[in-house]
Amino acid sequence: MKRPITMPVLSDTMEVGRLVRWLKQPGDRIRKGEVIAEVESDKAVMELEAFDDGWLAGPLAPEGSEIAVKQVIGWIADRPEEAQGESSPVEPAAPEKAAPPPAPAKPAAPQKAPEPAAPETAVSPVVAAALEPRREDDGGITPLARELLAELGLSPDAVSPGPDGVIRAGQVLAAALAPPAPDLRHAPSHRVERPSALRWKVALNMTRTTATPQFRVTTTADLEPLRDFAHDRQWSLTLLLARACALAVAAHPLFNQVWTPKGLARFERIDIGIAMDIGEGLVTPVLRDAGGRPIEELAEDWRILKDKVRRRRLQPQDYEGATFYLSNLGTFPGVRQFDAIVPLGASAILAVSAADASGQAALTVSCDHRVVFGADAARFLDTLVTRLQHPEGLVRS
Amino acid sequence: MDRDRALALLHDMLLGRKFEERCAREYMNGNIAGFLHLYPGEEAVAVGVIHACEASDYIVSTYREHVHALVRGVPAGEVMAELFGKRTGCSRGMGGSMHLFDPERRFMGGYAIVGETYPVAIGLAYGIAMRNLPEAVICFFGDGAVNQGTFHESLNMAALWKLPVLFVCENNQYAIGTEVHRHSAVPEVYKRAAAYRIPTERVDGMDVLAVHKATEHALRQIRAGTGPWLLECLTYRFRGHSMADPGHYRPPVEVKAHQRIDPLELALRELSPIYPTPEQIAAAGPDAILKLRQYCSDQGHLPDEDFRQLEAQVDAEVEAAVRFALESPEPSLEDAWQALLANRRGETLL
Amino acid sequence: MAEKIRYWQALNRALDELLAADENVFILGEDVGLYGGSYRVTEGLYAKYGEWRVRDTPISEDSFTGLGVGAALMGLRPVVEIMTINFALLALDAIINLAAKVPFMAGGRLPMGLTIRTPGGVARQLAAQHSQRLEHTLMNVPGLRIVVPSTPQDAYWQLKQAVLSDEPVVVLEHELLYFHEGPLDPAAPPPPPHRAIVRRRGRDLTLVAYSKMALLAQEAAERLGEQGIEAEVVDLRSLSPIDWNTCAASVARTHRLLVVEEDCRFAGAGAEIAAGLTERCFTRLEAAPMRLAGLDIPTPYNGTLEARTIPQVDDIVAAARKLVKEGS
Ligand SMILES: Cc1ncc(C[n+]2csc(CCOP(=O)(O)OP(=O)(O)O)c2C)c(N)n1
Ligand SMILES: [Mg+2]
Repeated sequence: MKRPITMPVLSDTMEVGRLVRWLKQPGDRIRKGEVIAEVESDKAVMELEAFDDGWLAGPLAPEGSEIAVKQVIGWIADRPEEAQGESSPVEPAAPEKAAPPPAPAKPAAPQKAPEPAAPETAVSPVVAAALEPRREDDGGITPLARELLAELGLSPDAVSPGPDGVIRAGQVLAAALAPPAPDLRHAPSHRVERPSALRWKVALNMTRTTATPQFRVTTTADLEPLRDFAHDRQWSLTLLLARACALAVAAHPLFNQVWTPKGLARFERIDIGIAMDIGEGLVTPVLRDAGGRPIEELAEDWRILKDKVRRRRLQPQDYEGATFYLSNLGTFPGVRQFDAIVPLGASAILAVSAADASGQAALTVSCDHRVVFGADAARFLDTLVTRLQHPEGLVRS
Repeated sequence: MDRDRALALLHDMLLGRKFEERCAREYMNGNIAGFLHLYPGEEAVAVGVIHACEASDYIVSTYREHVHALVRGVPAGEVMAELFGKRTGCSRGMGGSMHLFDPERRFMGGYAIVGETYPVAIGLAYGIAMRNLPEAVICFFGDGAVNQGTFHESLNMAALWKLPVLFVCENNQYAIGTEVHRHSAVPEVYKRAAAYRIPTERVDGMDVLAVHKATEHALRQIRAGTGPWLLECLTYRFRGHSMADPGHYRPPVEVKAHQRIDPLELALRELSPIYPTPEQIAAAGPDAILKLRQYCSDQGHLPDEDFRQLEAQVDAEVEAAVRFALESPEPSLEDAWQALLANRRGETLL
Repeated sequence: MAEKIRYWQALNRALDELLAADENVFILGEDVGLYGGSYRVTEGLYAKYGEWRVRDTPISEDSFTGLGVGAALMGLRPVVEIMTINFALLALDAIINLAAKVPFMAGGRLPMGLTIRTPGGVARQLAAQHSQRLEHTLMNVPGLRIVVPSTPQDAYWQLKQAVLSDEPVVVLEHELLYFHEGPLDPAAPPPPPHRAIVRRRGRDLTLVAYSKMALLAQEAAERLGEQGIEAEVVDLRSLSPIDWNTCAASVARTHRLLVVEEDCRFAGAGAEIAAGLTERCFTRLEAAPMRLAGLDIPTPYNGTLEARTIPQVDDIVAAARKLVKEGS
């Protein structure tokens, strides 16, 4: 049997030791307590005593090498035969297989630092102590935000706080750049309530669209053929409208792009976002590849999306990233005409009103003027109206 | 001294020696950390003094106190577990090598700031005197510790109020690397006691029976109400000051010379009426244990068999202590807070 | 030209040069002579300069530190080594009642060129009495200057500047820094002794730290950088006086302050730093300053617990993330 000799821990701060020299050769008889080597700790050169009787055996760590504490630096064999030769086989019982050549000096982690636990979840005691006095969720204004408010001459009432209710500099700047807030000083007494997260988000997004230069073009179309077709096949009218939009966009690829600070982004697929009223706000589930896939598939997708909306299970991947939008108020018979706001991320949105007695409905497309122009919009509407007149054509892709 | 008592002393010295050597090994293996000050060479002091005490006497010691705790009866497993930082240690893993405590055995602690043991000891003694109890306090300290102001301040108060303290100087002739003549104008510690009219004696701290006898005598006086005593035990540590210290400042001949008068060997010699010849001592190997064994079998007082049995028993005790320490759980942070707040006893502060 | 050198060697070199250049300089402390110092800082100096210049003292901290005070009164430049800050508690009378006050009480008519070197901090399982950080105790004493070098370069220069000053200076070293390696360029002009240094630039928050924690803070800042958070790291280098300008300029840019200290939290050095910077940067702050500090508990011997009572790199990263993410 060979037992390992390890680089000893010789001081409270020692992580690596330098093997100064061996005082014995492989094969030499060793007695317990006998000095067999000199090791330099961070504090001094120390003598290394054998813990066992036996014969010194290789491989030995080279003299002068730096070795992490607790790493094997040599061996003590029970019988002289075992100590012969550098390459004497290591018995299976030896703790470290294949007598590793002394490890390079890599200081072992000297202390067990608190487990680098999953970020943000498990908090170590010192971090917990640092967080303990901090207030959460009770509003207020940071000093920097307050200073900015004063400099900009803004009232805190004009600023929407962050999600924790605190007004920080970022929120003040946003408010400064945003359109002026209503001055309610002379308004009747009132209470300010924080809207739902959804409404908050929609409001924020809509405010952001004010930077988009928009124009609108309106036409009318006879929706009777489409309605009859939908009725016969048991398909939703909205679905067919979305399909028509997708095909018209396919014919006018200008409409499948968006303006970015770096240039025009051209999309390689047409995804139609459909505005849906859910009482306390608005969501836009997206029909992916609405021009390229069989209508049956789209119908199935649409059914699933509607179900998710109903059950409030819509995920971001269900409602984000449309390349063209559709808003249909056709179910409100009194609405003769309206237009919609182009959401960020797309260049156009089609607004569909209710049909009048003669079956004519107003179709208004709102466009980002950086991407498309009036004549483009006119041509687009023309194609769209044609598509709507021939619903059978919507089934084939 | 009867043979049983002598054997008990021998057992404790052997335990002290083997326990400490094992500590060195566990330190190098990384199971014990921090500062580790070992006792080999000085066993006769702790063993001689503490064996002469009553269980009701208090012990106050320094950072080199493992053997004092063991002799006092703190289980070896609890001491080793403390060195391993375990929850089952006598200080619950909070104190470590330099801070062993066992209130039940009136082992009132290891203190790591040089010169702290005197005031603590006279405080305990004050309580004893105030209550008029037949108890005493043993206060250990090193030769280097006599230059701290607290030495003089405490000796003065102890003498002034006749406090029942036995001051025991473990004069191993070094304060870390500074030899006693280089740190003390009066290197004979016992002479300093005279400044406060404290009775004193200097004994051979390598001779356990001499230490034992001197302690018995001093304690008898103390219990008679005459006030403090000071015992200076001349001894020597075989190893460096702590694990990090190679002890190179000491000439090898000096170390060798002291190892020749290994207290373990002396202790055994006392068991025999025949004094060994210098040749016999010289003939024995460098290992004190080997020497002992050789000597015993020669004299027939402690037959080879018995000695081997004793040695095996002590080996087993040390082995069991290590196993206990290894298998014991670590303390939690909750335990640490409890240690801090134990005396609050649930009181509401705010 | 910079060479790589260990922290203790940088101190050793500074002392050697000081002893050679000025015979008013002398060293005293426990085991500083023959033994070479428990952290090797005075290695070789006893042999070179003899016992009057490098004096092994008895274990009598209050008196030999007081001796340093007396010697300084006549214009000498004693460099007192107190083996660890824990033993400086026994010398507080000499430090606080004498060194810090005698020149003042004499109406400014006496010099006090005393330097006190002492290591402190949590090392490796030295237990409660040997793991203390007492910077707060000394910071609160008018008349003392305190430097806290974190690198060999600073150790070399700040010690030299301390010894050459006529005011008492405490050099707080950290037991775990002695064997750290770093460049030393003795030719590079040193910054003023108490000036803080921005070790890393960043815009998202300011980490203010000193001594060993300054190194951990830099490590944490690198990690945060990989996560997209740019932390600025200010190494204070001095605790008295504190270079408020450097700190405040940084906080004014980042608007968020995380103080990292090994000292206990309650009434620790970090409390002063946070308060001082709040006063100076109040209107620049986007969040309350955060103090990441040692727990208010004596240091347990057990190694796992010991590590949990003081900030580790992971903790700095976690705290910084929390601070930056506050409100988003
Ligand atoms: C007040 C104080 N100063 C310095 C130290 C560092 N130190 C620890 S042990 C020691 C030497 C003590 O020598 P001695 O009293 O003879 O005891 P020994 O170690 O020889 O048993 C020193 C200087 C300390 N622990 N406390
Ligand atoms: Mg001593």
